[in-house]
Amino acid sequence: MDSAGFSPPRRFGRVNGRGVWTLYRRALLRFLKFALEGTLGQVISSGLFLTVFTLAMPERITTLAGVEPLVFLLPGIVAYQGFHAAFENAAFPLVYDKLEGMMGDIMMAPLKAWEVVFASVGAATLAGLTTGGVILLLGALVVPLPLASLPIVLAYALLGCLLFALLGFLTGLWAEKWDRYAMVETFLVLPLGILSGTFFTLEAVPELAAELMRFNPVFYAIDGLRAGFIGSAQAPAAVGLAVLAALCLALFLLCWRLLAVGYKVRP
Amino acid sequence: MSTSETELRAGAGRPLPGASPLAGQNPGGRQSHPGPRDLGRVNWMGLWTLYLREVKRFLNVFTQTILAPMVTSLLFLAIFTLALGRGNVNFGDVPYAVFLAPGLIMMQIIQNAFANTSSSILISKVQGNIVDVLMPPLSHFELALGFAGGGVTRGLTVGLSAGIAMAIILPLGIHDPLAILWYALNASLMLALLGMIGGIWAEKFDHIAAVTNFVIVPLSFLSGTFYSIERLPESWVLVAHLNPFFYLIDGFRYGFLGHHDGNLLIGSVAVAVVNVALWLVVQRMFATGYKLKP
Repeated sequence: MDSAGFSPPRRFGRVNGRGVWTLYRRALLRFLKFALEGTLGQVISSGLFLTVFTLAMPERITTLAGVEPLVFLLPGIVAYQGFHAAFENAAFPLVYDKLEGMMGDIMMAPLKAWEVVFASVGAATLAGLTTGGVILLLGALVVPLPLASLPIVLAYALLGCLLFALLGFLTGLWAEKWDRYAMVETFLVLPLGILSGTFFTLEAVPELAAELMRFNPVFYAIDGLRAGFIGSAQAPAAVGLAVLAALCLALFLLCWRLLAVGYKVRP
Repeated sequence: MSTSETELRAGAGRPLPGASPLAGQNPGGRQSHPGPRDLGRVNWMGLWTLYLREVKRFLNVFTQTILAPMVTSLLFLAIFTLALGRGNVNFGDVPYAVFLAPGLIMMQIIQNAFANTSSSILISKVQGNIVDVLMPPLSHFELALGFAGGGVTRGLTVGLSAGIAMAIILPLGIHDPLAILWYALNASLMLALLGMIGGIWAEKFDHIAAVTNFVIVPLSFLSGTFYSIERLPESWVLVAHLNPFFYLIDGFRYGFLGHHDGNLLIGSVAVAVVNVALWLVVQRMFATGYKLKP
């Protein structure tokens, strides 16, 4: 029993494991609290997309990229919804904490900047994977979806969700108001999510747009994820993995530096 | 007029500090307070004020309320044209993109008119400033008109901006301007009224999100926005003809393309009848104070 009446501070090594775990769990519990409504909304919207595409698809189009149209569309929709959930679950809590003045709780805790980024982005990635997984399972009940390679599916799903979670974290740091958050969501995430080969093949777009799409990292994520199911990709798998991994690393470093200097989170 | 002048004038009716309390009551025959304004049959100033608040509310965040719907409709146009356009599909004698455009504009009108009134009323309820609307001398009719006016303005503004954006990139002709106006107006009004019913009924944001996600968005997707109703299975065609949203989209599309699936006369009367019925419900809700007054 020490004289001050309380125990000395907990000692931890180079990494504050318990702190990271606590922050991660908090972020995840936040997601789970609204998971039913959030995921249900996304499930409905995915179902609507599938229904509408089926009804609007001309009868003479029987294959897209060599498979049935629905088999081609479902992985794209799953990817888009998963990525969107990852973005939302990284950005939303951060903006909320900043506006409600709870950011201090995180900045004061004995956590290094990279630990904060790691925990928040990790939880958001898992949220994205969960949402995508739920939609995939429900979609597979309706659409006879093949599975060519599970490792490829997992690798691309993980990298894609991570990319959007990091993007969400950056947005959360930058946004001072909900307006700004909504702006990034509408004018960046939505177009990136649905114009990156989610619903169509490279042959369908004009020459120039197809060239541009090869510079779009999200195209690789969605194309790679779909390749894991249907077994044929439009871009080489190795290039996609390399591009995504490099981009995730760069964004992680950026998030880490910005948080370390206290960009828009410290007065 | 300068500020000090305004203040002086405003203070003219009040007793000066230090003066006796009686002094303010009737100095030189002037009343200390102006009497209540004579309203007449309709409180035009109150109605205009409520309407203006509703309009400024969404103009204040126009990136979210006008630009975002415009971008969304263009994105939908892009993905559906790219995903389905390879078969060179034609509906009648128009390319698929042109067939789609009026449907997408109507979809945004539907979603935005609903969002405007439902969010306005619900936020006021949750934050407790709904009394600011209920206390002033506004009749139930004026309340309904003020809120609905805001929703209709939002719907038409969104429709116009999305329409202009599409007319720039597509050869979108106008076949019957009267039909376009009639259906745009009725669609905005219908969804503004539905939004008011939803906003009054809902107690939490979850409730209204559920209505939006499970009723409004699916109906706006599945009522012929993306496909001709002939493509539906036989048994669903009847269901489609009982759906007022189908008439809204079909009639609106007729205004641009001159092509329609349903009966125009039935459609144009049906949407108006639905609107009158919804209006009566809304006015009744304001009159009884359902979930508005304690």
